[in-house]
Amino acid sequence: MARLLKLVLIAALCLTATLALAQDTPAEVTADQVNAVAEKLYCPVCENIPLDTCGTAACADWRNEIKLQLEAGMTPDEVITDFVRRFGDRVVGIPQDPALNALTMVTVVAVIGAALLGGVYFLLRNRRPRQPEPAIPAPAEGAAPASNAYYDLLRQDVEG
Amino acid sequence: MIAETGFFLLLFSFAAAVYSALASLVGARRAHGEKLIVSGRNAAYLTTALVTASLGMLLAGLLRQDYQIAYVWSVTNPDMNAFYRLTALWGSQAGSLLFWSFLMSLFAAISIAFAWRRFHALVPYAITVMMVTVAFFVGLSVFLENPFERWWLAGGTGDVMRSVLMPAGAFAPDSLNLQGSAQGLNPMLRHWAMAIHPPLLYLGFVGFIIPFAYAVGALASGNLSTDWIKATRRFTLVAWMFLSLGLLLGGRWAYDVLGWGGYWGWDPVENAAFLPWLAGTALLHSTTIQEKRGMLKTWNLSLVVLTFSAVIFGTFATRSGLVESVHSFARSEIGFPMFVFWFGLTLVAVLLIIWRRGRGELRAEHEFQGLLSRESLFVLNNVVFVALFIAVFWGSFGAPILSELVMNTNITLGADYFMRVTPPLFAALYILMGVAPLSGWGVTSLRRLGRAALIPLVLTLASLGLFALAGMSTALSYVAYFVVLLAGWVAIVETARGIAARRRAHKENVVTSAWQLFGRNPRRYGGYMIHLGMTVIGIGVIGSTLFQVETQRTLQPGQTLELGGYTMRYDGLLANQVAEDGRLMDIAQVAVLRDGRELANLRPRRDFYPQSEGTNSMTIAGSHSTLENDFYVLLVNWEPINANQATFKVYINPLINWIWTGGLILIAGTFLAAYPKDVVSERARQSVALAKPGQLARKGA
Amino acid sequence: MADTLTNHAPTAPEPAETAAAEPSRRRLGPGTIALIAAIVVAGAIIALALARQGQTQPTGGAAADFEFTTFDGETMRLSDLRGKVVVMNFWASWCGPCRDEAPELQAAWEHYQVSGDVAFLGVAYADNGPRSVAYLDEFGVTYLNAPDLGTRVSELYHIQGVPETFIINQDGEIEQFIFAGITSEGLRRIIDPLLQEG
Repeated sequence: MARLLKLVLIAALCLTATLALAQDTPAEVTADQVNAVAEKLYCPVCENIPLDTCGTAACADWRNEIKLQLEAGMTPDEVITDFVRRFGDRVVGIPQDPALNALTMVTVVAVIGAALLGGVYFLLRNRRPRQPEPAIPAPAEGAAPASNAYYDLLRQDVEG
Repeated sequence: MIAETGFFLLLFSFAAAVYSALASLVGARRAHGEKLIVSGRNAAYLTTALVTASLGMLLAGLLRQDYQIAYVWSVTNPDMNAFYRLTALWGSQAGSLLFWSFLMSLFAAISIAFAWRRFHALVPYAITVMMVTVAFFVGLSVFLENPFERWWLAGGTGDVMRSVLMPAGAFAPDSLNLQGSAQGLNPMLRHWAMAIHPPLLYLGFVGFIIPFAYAVGALASGNLSTDWIKATRRFTLVAWMFLSLGLLLGGRWAYDVLGWGGYWGWDPVENAAFLPWLAGTALLHSTTIQEKRGMLKTWNLSLVVLTFSAVIFGTFATRSGLVESVHSFARSEIGFPMFVFWFGLTLVAVLLIIWRRGRGELRAEHEFQGLLSRESLFVLNNVVFVALFIAVFWGSFGAPILSELVMNTNITLGADYFMRVTPPLFAALYILMGVAPLSGWGVTSLRRLGRAALIPLVLTLASLGLFALAGMSTALSYVAYFVVLLAGWVAIVETARGIAARRRAHKENVVTSAWQLFGRNPRRYGGYMIHLGMTVIGIGVIGSTLFQVETQRTLQPGQTLELGGYTMRYDGLLANQVAEDGRLMDIAQVAVLRDGRELANLRPRRDFYPQSEGTNSMTIAGSHSTLENDFYVLLVNWEPINANQATFKVYINPLINWIWTGGLILIAGTFLAAYPKDVVSERARQSVALAKPGQLARKGA
Repeated sequence: MADTLTNHAPTAPEPAETAAAEPSRRRLGPGTIALIAAIVVAGAIIALALARQGQTQPTGGAAADFEFTTFDGETMRLSDLRGKVVVMNFWASWCGPCRDEAPELQAAWEHYQVSGDVAFLGVAYADNGPRSVAYLDEFGVTYLNAPDLGTRVSELYHIQGVPETFIINQDGEIEQFIFAGITSEGLRRIIDPLLQEG
């Protein structure tokens, strides 16, 4: 019921706005202002194309609606929230619904964090146990069986 | 006749590929299987020849305008020129699948010829892997997406049917009728970048089968030395280059044709092509560690599997309709077979790795020496690439799929998500790109790093000063440019150092010593050049992302709009111009001025294709390009356009042309890095042997 | 240059072969099992997603139930209409073909309205409130109409676009799915037999 009231309210707002527009043209909302909001929205009939660049009739209609809502005094954030309420979280680039938002953002940050930590842990664990390192590995160093090969590489590196 | 011939060639190639896979596998398992192995190899060559011939038939059908063939009918029409007839080969699902099989079999044949003698132990298994894959894709063409199907009319009823061979009682429809109703290539694909973008992307994709096949060959044969890396390094590099170019050209196409002022939309299909690139780039770096230090064996094998698995996954996701996007092919039946193939291939490869690892055959030969050694930094590089992979995969596929399954809600993560998650990771990559080349294999001290970084740091700060003079103001952009420029300056300075050292030692002029230097260590200097290319691309990406400005305005003829120091004047409209391929064009004429001086006359236009179904109109931008920026004008197609008024959307995309320039540097770098050094290496080794280690180490700093 | 290195590699083919001869069966570690499980789970999820992606508009079986609030403020469920034949039409004010259908639907509704055996339900897909209301006024539509808030109903029925129409019989089962191009005549040809059966 509350939803409906809001809807009616918006309808009323839009209508007044249109009427007001017809009468004495208040501060006009520019195409740029509309696009600034539209580029954060995606319409359900055009996959993955931001609303500001989509040419279908549905998109044109939605942009017009953004214009009306902005003219009615809604802030860009309010417009976006209202679109999400009516058309679902698919219309925004990052879902607003707390559960969905957590699913997308928290999961990815956690997984990336784990990957980074895992990498560092791997390096630390596989590190050669503390041993003072000479600036240039001495040929006598027994620990590395490939020290001759290592020298070859070094030469190649430098010469090549 | 063309259709039947093409189909039977394809059918035979399927049989040959299956035989080749089996013969090679059985031959490799048997003690005296050499004859079978040779036979399997020959069958692989035969497969390539047959697939090529089959593709030739389809091409002949397209060029000869044989509209009886359903594929030809659906992607060409009499108005199209020969060039677009050729590109129609990959204009739709069935043709592009065959084209894909062709490229893959071609890669397979070349790699077999290359590796046959030198890496004989790996080849039979590699042939099995490659031929199973080829057989799978050819099989899709034969059984599900047949490009050779023809139109038929049933004898009694006149119903329309599609099949390769004439159904009983049916007759062929009239050619002229068919010609009249032929649909023509999807208008969006009629663009030079689109003509070469798919082949490049496919070359990149299929090229990664080579490292995968030989890695599996290594796992299966037990030859777990670096042979598989050596046998495939150049193929990987070339595949990587094609993939990079394919991605760049795809961006260029979107920029020119899709009409939204950008080149990368983080669309799931774009990302599906980006994923193998991320894994492949990590692979190129980490295999070096195994070659030089004998470490990370398990990791490298896993990375190869990840890369090729991502290739097949991307293909499958794009072609099955798993995700919907402007780029995807129409939904079709090939989804499930492709899924099964992708899953089976990944699982078998992973199990092989686990098996070999369980037997202790993948142990590292060295340990990590300090977090600043080059191998440690390479590991970090790999970790960041994998993190990026996860972030992009999650945003494109993971989260949308899970939210649909678990919460029954459709979501699509857009640029907002990717621009929040990925920039720190890209920055980390550029930092590593700047630091790692200064660090040495084995052990590196912070002091040494700092000394080596001094000159690049100074140069970076100096370039930032130039940016400041140009009026750059946000802190974020300084951080971004610092990171990106440092990587580039390091590449340049390290190259200059090498040249200088060589000049001192050999008393050569700059050109000769550069030539010699590059010739002796093409991998290193090719790598630096690629880094430089990445920096140039980074400069363009940051500029066009952070400083893009746009405006939308409706103008009457003679009216002007101002944006970013430019003035644009609407001069008039040429409405309903008919192009030779039958499309109608509304062309706006606009002039771009700066400081009262006329810079260019642009013709942004709207094309309408009356004959095409589906997407039948396009907005083609007019653009005035300089190294500084693009002044990019679109006719807004949802607003009325007539001689009295037109609505324009105008973008200024700073530094965007650096992206394409960076791509060229990337190509040059890859060719250098892939340059066969074997010819000169013997001589080089001899000359090095004369020098004393101490001297060399000193120069090495 | 790396050749010198690989000479030291302990993993040349020969030792591998001898190792294979020994029956050294190692048990799989927990990490390995977790890895394999993860791959299988990921595969299963993607397979499931693919199967669902392939789902198209249902053409039979029980019609999925949902709650809706009409533009007049009445909240009800689809199942409340059980016992009647339901014509459920997805539309939008920005959609051209919907405009062709609207008078046909209204005419059919007026034909059955008196009998009370048939309910018409319009679902406004991806449309905005005021526009939808204006559209309904324009065509004098008098049957039940509700916005599809959050596009949940459209997802439930896997519609691909608008207009799309489902005919649901008295038992709440989908009788027919019509892609587009509804006429009053055509509707009656489908509905009348259903009414006679019931």
